[in-house]
Amino acid sequence: MNKYLYDVVIIGGGPAGLSTGIKLAQKGLKTLLIERGRFCGAKNLFGGVVYTSSIKEIVPEFPEVDPSPVERPVTEEGYFFLSKEGVVKILHTKKRADESFTALRAKFDAFLSEYALKKGIDLAPKTKVIDFIRNNGFIEGVIVDRPTSFEDPSPATIKAKVVVIAEGVNRLLTEKAGLVTKTFEPEEVVLAVKEVLQLPKGELEARFGLSNNQGLAVEIFGEITKGLPGTGFLYTNKTTISFGIGIFLKSLMDLNLKPYEILEYAKLHPYFRELFKGSETLEYGAHLIPEWGIKGLPKPYGNGVLVVGDAAGLVNPLFREGTNLAIYSGLMAAEAIFYAFEKGDFTERSLRRYEELFKDSFIYKDLVMLKDLKTFLLSNSHLFQVYPEMIYDICSLYFSAQGRYKRDVIREIFGIIKKKRGYWGILRDFVKIGRFLW
Amino acid sequence: MLNILVSIKQVPDTTNIRINPETGTLIREGIPSITNPYDVVALSLACELKQRYGGKITVITMGPPQAKASLREAVEFGADRIILLCDKKFAGADTLATSYTLAETIKFLQKDDPFDLLLFGKQAIDGDTAQVGPGVANRLNIPVITYVIKLQDIDLINKKIIVHRKIERGVEVLEASLPVLLTCEKELCATPFVPLEQVIKATKAEPEVFTAEGPVIFTREKLGLKGSPTQVKKVFTPELKKQGKIYNLEEVPLEKVIEEIIGVLKEKGLL
Ligand SMILES: Cc1cc2nc3c(=O)[nH]c(=O)nc-3n(C[C@H](O)[C@H](O)[C@H](O)COP(=O)(O)OP(=O)(O)OC[C@H]3O[C@@H](n4cnc5c(N)ncnc54)[C@H](O)[C@@H]3O)c2cc1C
Repeated sequence: MNKYLYDVVIIGGGPAGLSTGIKLAQKGLKTLLIERGRFCGAKNLFGGVVYTSSIKEIVPEFPEVDPSPVERPVTEEGYFFLSKEGVVKILHTKKRADESFTALRAKFDAFLSEYALKKGIDLAPKTKVIDFIRNNGFIEGVIVDRPTSFEDPSPATIKAKVVVIAEGVNRLLTEKAGLVTKTFEPEEVVLAVKEVLQLPKGELEARFGLSNNQGLAVEIFGEITKGLPGTGFLYTNKTTISFGIGIFLKSLMDLNLKPYEILEYAKLHPYFRELFKGSETLEYGAHLIPEWGIKGLPKPYGNGVLVVGDAAGLVNPLFREGTNLAIYSGLMAAEAIFYAFEKGDFTERSLRRYEELFKDSFIYKDLVMLKDLKTFLLSNSHLFQVYPEMIYDICSLYFSAQGRYKRDVIREIFGIIKKKRGYWGILRDFVKIGRFLW
Repeated sequence: MLNILVSIKQVPDTTNIRINPETGTLIREGIPSITNPYDVVALSLACELKQRYGGKITVITMGPPQAKASLREAVEFGADRIILLCDKKFAGADTLATSYTLAETIKFLQKDDPFDLLLFGKQAIDGDTAQVGPGVANRLNIPVITYVIKLQDIDLINKKIIVHRKIERGVEVLEASLPVLLTCEKELCATPFVPLEQVIKATKAEPEVFTAEGPVIFTREKLGLKGSPTQVKKVFTPELKKQGKIYNLEEVPLEKVIEEIIGVLKEKGLL
């Protein structure tokens, strides 16, 4: 008999795996979650802004929790358009401060894993899943890199009725399970790099005009990515700033650019140089974001197996959704698993339930809507180049129009538009964007 | 069967440490904590010995509540009992107060079942004093062997142990009777790749917490800051003295050494 017997084994302790685990444990299923990092969150990275409603689905008492993973509530949110010389900001003060909050991965995932442990799951950190136990086209468990016991040095095998793959963007096991046929191409992933910057005490509040329980979250376009398709981001934490960029891997490879060079370059921009003066880099990291779109999604279920979160390609880059989608997919997976246990059938036939739930959800609809996003962005890279510069130049003229005949100013503004993109160009862009989103 | 005690400490990961240039003190904020690497060697040895001879491992640490993480890690190595000494009254202890607190705790723990082997790291990487192990041994009135690099043999019947100890120029081979306290060097034992069941067990392990009030009875004046006569005057980075090279002629042929010396002298323009 096998030493390790579980109802469900989950591979990966990110938000997707942990929320699956929490839900399963609540219903009393014997669950083991395996995470290769020193602890959950140790090997990971995100912006990150997290949406409260999704957390409440798994931790109903949130945000009344101690210790809390919240850095700051997001009270101001918007966009920066960065030109070579300066920035135009669009910020809005949010109606509700409790909708979303900033968090740091190491603390956030650790919080969820503590919670999951309390709910009764078994957790195996520092352990890597290397393969599956297979039987007649069925996945019946996993094999890990650790020994079985002090007496038996052979790799431990863990039997389970269902295996949930929550391995994140590097979908190696999803591939091994035969649920996706090819690895991804450079144009199908965004490479994100991020730094956590510490400002001198009190400076964060002073420089961003925030009080202690206010926070800022902005996406940055234009010069921040050197005009390449992608965005930058800046989120305020308790005493630090998360600052990073995400660019299609393909653009980076085509131009032979190193992402951290672009980030360093961005920090030298006059606006950010001033904003980050006297800061110290506490952390630095890089991570991929899947942008497979609806066509590149793996089959999310098989005999004895489900795929959730980033591994299943569930990210909406336009609306900065990833963590919440990971959580929702975990919930749907849990529901499908309950269904399978009710039926006592762990074949595709009952686990297909997961895909049905998924196809009914807004996540799927969004993915359908944005199905050509990467092609759209990569073939319209001028949007990232032309517009931020243009917007900045127009604002510069407009806001220094004093003491001049205003018709001349307006004429000059139209001159800029004509030169940078042309009226027809702009019209075409609008139609294109409109069509894409419709 | 061996009854083993391991004493460990949670320390800031000094590979990440920064010094505040203005005050000259360590910036501890935001620095991840790890188990003192030499204590990990002690745990590894305990783990290996338990597999070989059977027995029991008790692990103690004194520290803040976060130090529980290090005790959980100890469970991965097969610890059977884990104890956290945690109390504001223990805080601010120097090596004197620490040795006292640990020694009293060990006396309490071994009342019915005396330890055969007490394992400490050679030093903690955040203080580098290397005094606590010997201090505890002294209070327990047992032999201590510091800087152990190899455990050659344990004779459970005659209660004897043979170990190799690092000294400045070479190695001492020592025999001692059990119980004995060893402080461990890196070379003593490799970290084992612990099995899955221990890792799972560790995440759920809850240490027993001992405070200044009990169950061990302490003399209040000897605890924590009160019991610590050491005062830190200044923290600074010592300048590295120029180091000579030492060749062991049993390992390196004389001709080669002479050649090297001539080479160095020529390089310095002295020859
Ligand atoms: C820079 C950046 C910024 C982001 N910002 C945001 C944001 O602001 N808001 C938002 O909602 N989303 C954001 N995202 C996206 C979000 O982080 C992801 O969508 C989310 O983390 C996906 O969760 P997951 O659990 O599917 O995968 P992951 O979080 O990637 O977790 C996968 C886990 O599996 C483990 N693992 C992998 N393989 C194995 C194996 N073989 N054995 C054991 N363990 C394994 C990994 O160590 C990892 O912990 C951002 C992403 C990046 C990179």
